[in-house]
Amino acid sequence: MATAYYEFYRGSSIGMALTDSLDELITSGAITPQLAMKVLQQFDKSLADTMVKQVKAKTTLKGHLKTYRLCDDVWTFIVKQASFKMEQNEVITTPRIKIIACKNGDAIEAGKK
Amino acid sequence: MSNKIVPSIYRAVIDDVIDAIRPEFEEFGVSADLVEKLRDKWEMKIVASRVADFPVEPSPSQPTYPYPTLPHATRNVPAYVPPSAAQQRSKSGGIDARYALATAQYAFPPLPGPTLPAQNKNTSTPVAPVTAALSTLPQTDGPSVSEDDDLEPVPVPTRIGQPSGAPVGKGEFAAGKDPAKDAEQIGSDLDDDSDDSENDAEDGEEAQAEIDMVFCTYDKVARVKNKWKCVLKDGMIHAGGKDYLFQRCTGEFEW
Repeated sequence: MATAYYEFYRGSSIGMALTDSLDELITSGAITPQLAMKVLQQFDKSLADTMVKQVKAKTTLKGHLKTYRLCDDVWTFIVKQASFKMEQNEVITTPRIKIIACKNGDAIEAGKK
Repeated sequence: MSNKIVPSIYRAVIDDVIDAIRPEFEEFGVSADLVEKLRDKWEMKIVASRVADFPVEPSPSQPTYPYPTLPHATRNVPAYVPPSAAQQRSKSGGIDARYALATAQYAFPPLPGPTLPAQNKNTSTPVAPVTAALSTLPQTDGPSVSEDDDLEPVPVPTRIGQPSGAPVGKGEFAAGKDPAKDAEQIGSDLDDDSDDSENDAEDGEEAQAEIDMVFCTYDKVARVKNKWKCVLKDGMIHAGGKDYLFQRCTGEFEW
């Protein structure tokens, strides 16, 4: 594994489920924290690759921007009254949503830039 | 659409990760059983979070799968409708639920529950009475509130079922703040719940103190005066307790 991948997907539902499961195994002494780190790194890679390869959906998002922040090439937006328009006219609205976006490309590339 | 593909994508990711870490586990001298154990735990948690419809696994080790309760399409649902509700009700769950579905007497309005507009598609009408049945049945019988994705403005402190709080939780459904106050007065048994109630009161509009998030990368972020436009890529949206995936998202905001 030459390049690193972004780790923010670990905060998603699937990522948290994996992290919690790994924590349980660590607490019970079944695996070492090092091994858990390796698993999470593998997860970062697999999820990123799968998303790029298999997900084709496009959406649009509108809302009222409450807060914006750019730090270390990471944008954080807090949007109120957000509505996502998915394909097939599916619309999802939320009163408040937080968007965390890293710069496109590999994590290491972004660091160099 | 992007919610329907979630289960298959997640399954592909799980398979990929597990296959890739098998050699790592061997290298570390950990038994292969653990890989399966990790995989099972992981899958159980994902299914339990009900972020999308997951088809029922025919896995012998988990007979009572906490089956996702009716977000969108009901194609996989029929006989398996609410094993989780069944556990709460401790009756012959499946049959009761189907009977309830058949009679469908329960009024929809009492709960703002799982009726997010986002979740109501064209096929939602058969879903609606069942969700109402599910929502109302656990309340009448047991202290524990059913789904996490109930956007209940009422901070009912019965999310964690506790015997001492049961009469308070059941009776005070519409009263909102009263159970929280009672919980604070009563004492140590209910401390956890009073904290949760405070969280719910704070985050009022959010489902059970969950924050809707989007994890993605950005291609372009631009601003003209107070109009923001951005192009986002490869994202995962967690909203209203459900996950959605997108390859590309164009956003327009006003600040």
